[in-house]
Amino acid sequence: MPRARLSPILMIGPAAGFIGVFILVPMVLTIWLSFHQWSTQTPFSTAEWVGLRNYEDIFSALSVGRDFKTALRNTAIYTALSVAILLPLSVLLGLLVYQRAVAGGQFLRTVLFASYMVPMIAVALVWSKLYAPTEGPLNQILGWVGIGPQTWLAAPDTALYSLVLLNVWQQIGYFTVLAVAGLTQIPNTLYEAARIDGAGPVQSFFGVTLPLMRRTLLFSAVIAIINAVQVFEPVALITQGGPAGSTNVLTFHIRRVGIERSQGGLGSAMAVTLMLALIVTVFAIFAANRRGGRE
Amino acid sequence: MTRLPRPTHGLILLLIIALAVASAFPLVWMVLSSFKTPEESMQTPPVWIPGSLNLSAYGAVSEVIQAGRSLWNSAVIATVTTTGILVTSLMAGFAFAKYRFRGRNALFAVMIATMFLPPIVTLIPLYRMVSAMGFSASLVGVILPNLANAFGIFLMRQFIAGVPDDLIDAARVDGASELRVVFSVVAPAIVPAIAALALFAFVYHWNTYLWPLTVLQGASEDYPIVLSLGRLLSYNRGAMNTPLVMAGATMAVLPPLVLFVFLQRFFVDSMVSAAVKG
Repeated sequence: MPRARLSPILMIGPAAGFIGVFILVPMVLTIWLSFHQWSTQTPFSTAEWVGLRNYEDIFSALSVGRDFKTALRNTAIYTALSVAILLPLSVLLGLLVYQRAVAGGQFLRTVLFASYMVPMIAVALVWSKLYAPTEGPLNQILGWVGIGPQTWLAAPDTALYSLVLLNVWQQIGYFTVLAVAGLTQIPNTLYEAARIDGAGPVQSFFGVTLPLMRRTLLFSAVIAIINAVQVFEPVALITQGGPAGSTNVLTFHIRRVGIERSQGGLGSAMAVTLMLALIVTVFAIFAANRRGGRE
Repeated sequence: MTRLPRPTHGLILLLIIALAVASAFPLVWMVLSSFKTPEESMQTPPVWIPGSLNLSAYGAVSEVIQAGRSLWNSAVIATVTTTGILVTSLMAGFAFAKYRFRGRNALFAVMIATMFLPPIVTLIPLYRMVSAMGFSASLVGVILPNLANAFGIFLMRQFIAGVPDDLIDAARVDGASELRVVFSVVAPAIVPAIAALALFAFVYHWNTYLWPLTVLQGASEDYPIVLSLGRLLSYNRGAMNTPLVMAGATMAVLPPLVLFVFLQRFFVDSMVSAAVKG
């Protein structure tokens, strides 16, 4: 093929151009800006080199540092809890969807996945009503079973957990579908072998299903983490990071600092810290998975 | 699967029903509440099912959020972005699947890596760049940065790899250009995958909030429906305006939800194949 030398460039050009200009260039700029003092309202050329000062500031005892560290901690808690609930729940729901003994599995999948397809901003509006302290349906329903009204988004010690619950509700359908994909890849012969060896349903779940779901769960964990750090709409629309900073999460905080307050350098240092934290977390998960796999 | 003892069947069915009800509850409640009158909405104990199919909240909210204009903007953003993603993904996916060239795997890896980058990481310089190009506060600014993405390239490569080389070579022998090969020979062979990508991209860009909010800052005539819903915040205190707010939310939710319900086979299968093959 004589044209084969030119064609790859022409074919990949448009995609590479857009991804390069609108993702890779800004990524490099974010790193570069994190070492500069720069107002987001001015051209990049006005950026002033300040070395590591932005990083010192965001980890300092000043209010800039306190706010950032709160956002980092809130995001870590939110992410860890989301993953810790989503993964086991997705396997359980996956088993329900995958089993053929009882009808309704496919229907359950459709219902679960539907909430993943709708705009988060609408979801945030709906849940702000569901969570309403007095007339809110959730407290009404809890009242039927004798549980007193909860504070949900209104109190600092419950607001972040309420956002986790909202996140789990919205995303569980997607992770259930991933779990079903993992389940379909387990050969039936393994279950039969386990049964011949006298394994009951519980034993074959822990002996066959879970070990063979390892790759799926690894993928799910990474996606769940990446999704969780993006939480924005319910915070931006409903809680504004409050009450008392309890729902101030990184995506919201970085945008507030870097865009609304135009502190582009500081915001970029926060963004780079988030990126590094993500890279370290993902590598740690892969390393832990490797070690677990060898045992 | 292990076979289950009979008596557990009833329990499993009960569990499935309970979970489906719990999962559907928020959206069902949203739709039901949108039909309530303000009086029904304020009653305690609450009215769960409205007495009549009262549509007045829809009329009221349409003015507040400029529903016609906002829905149109959302449709333009989602449609143009989706078209761009389809074109760039098909071309690049084809090259990665069917050409051999130096640096192919490295380039592919770099592109795929961007899939795992949260948008907030690049938001600040991207906002400045798009402003400097003169596209802030316009639909162009919303659309332009999203005309290619890693997920689309990845999905197209996976499926184009399964298209027989003979089919492609036959078209080349007939004198077809490479672009013609992609769009007239390869594309028709992977219609389900293209439909899946189109749906995924459309719904994603219908729903996305962070970038339009950042780039449109105040240019409210260009607001997509998700941004216009923000205006309902001042109506969000107390129960009286709940029907109005829920009517707005329903209008934003309905288009992607309807697409999903009718075309979920494509959707779910493509999600699964992306996960399994990846």
